[in-house]
Amino acid sequence: MCEWCLKHGDGGKWYENARLYKNELADEYNAREYLEEQWKNMETLFIRKIMGFNSIGLGYKMQMPIIGRLIRRVVEGQIHSEKPNRNPVRADGHFGQVLPLEDAQHILGNLAAEPIIKNYCICRYMQRGVKDAVCINFGQLSEVIEKHTRYIPEGVKYRLDREEAIQALQEQNEKGYVASVWFQPVPYINAICSCETPECGGLRLRNDFDLRTVYKGEYVIDIDIDKCQGCKSCVRMCQFNALRYLPSVKRVIVDLDKCFGCGVCRHACNHDALNLVPRESVPGMAGKY
Amino acid sequence: MVKKTKIKIDHSKCHSGASTDPRDCRKCLFVCDPAVLLLHPTLEEHPDPHNPEIWRIDAIWLSKCTGCMRCVEVCPEQAITVEPGVTLHQMKAR
Repeated sequence: MCEWCLKHGDGGKWYENARLYKNELADEYNAREYLEEQWKNMETLFIRKIMGFNSIGLGYKMQMPIIGRLIRRVVEGQIHSEKPNRNPVRADGHFGQVLPLEDAQHILGNLAAEPIIKNYCICRYMQRGVKDAVCINFGQLSEVIEKHTRYIPEGVKYRLDREEAIQALQEQNEKGYVASVWFQPVPYINAICSCETPECGGLRLRNDFDLRTVYKGEYVIDIDIDKCQGCKSCVRMCQFNALRYLPSVKRVIVDLDKCFGCGVCRHACNHDALNLVPRESVPGMAGKY
Repeated sequence: MVKKTKIKIDHSKCHSGASTDPRDCRKCLFVCDPAVLLLHPTLEEHPDPHNPEIWRIDAIWLSKCTGCMRCVEVCPEQAITVEPGVTLHQMKAR
């Protein structure tokens, strides 16, 4: 169980706690005000200076002996901040976790506050100039985003009922996009993204700079050696380079240190060889988020 | 001292008034495998997203640049110059 489950899970996984989706909780943390300011300025996040440093050349800055460690401490403190004076334009308190399709669909079907919308992914727009309406947002965040027309897909029904949201996520997941759930700001939950590396800003900071903007999921993949036929179809689905085909043994192997437990690889397997198992049940993987 | 990658984008050539608006062109964004470049609005108190002049492309994730020069070759305005340095991967391997 990750530290955020202990803090906000009320005995279970944080993202399965119904209380964290409610309007009352959002109001308690002045979420609407925070979200309005955050989404007005979202695209300036990486060029904005924080304590004199912006993200330009972040890899070099973080390699500097003392300054690098200082940046890491400050940035992680902001990402996970639960203080009342959080700065929305820096996205303080905004982080998430990878989760399998089933868990994400459970959220959309039962926990997410209405209205539910789909809107353009900002990460893909900024990194590739591509408009892809795959971000599913809910509750007060939907109402905030709707005011900013640049995020809203043109000519399509962007307000979704629960069934439509579940279906949209299904299609995105099968395409190879990784489902992730987000605090914004912690402990208010209002987004399920369908991410891709290296475009996703959160996964970028996690994978390249080891900043915990996105936690690994509560599961890891398990390959049934007897069932794997070595067709390699799953390898191309993995966004994290965790799967590899070995010609010598004619099967796919998994690098569990790289596996985020998203389960997207399962869509490619026609032999039922891939299954998610709880991270806690796998020796060496427990507690490694 | 590590040699840092330097990428310069000449905004007098790449801007909304040029023959192709960077938001429509985005050829450099497409060809870059590690997605080093970023399309963003200029930093103002409350940038007006509908003003085409505020949208720019800049290199952000410099340590991920492998120096392949595809962005330089693909740019129709010859606005990009790249001086490759050490990559993040090489730094970690040291």
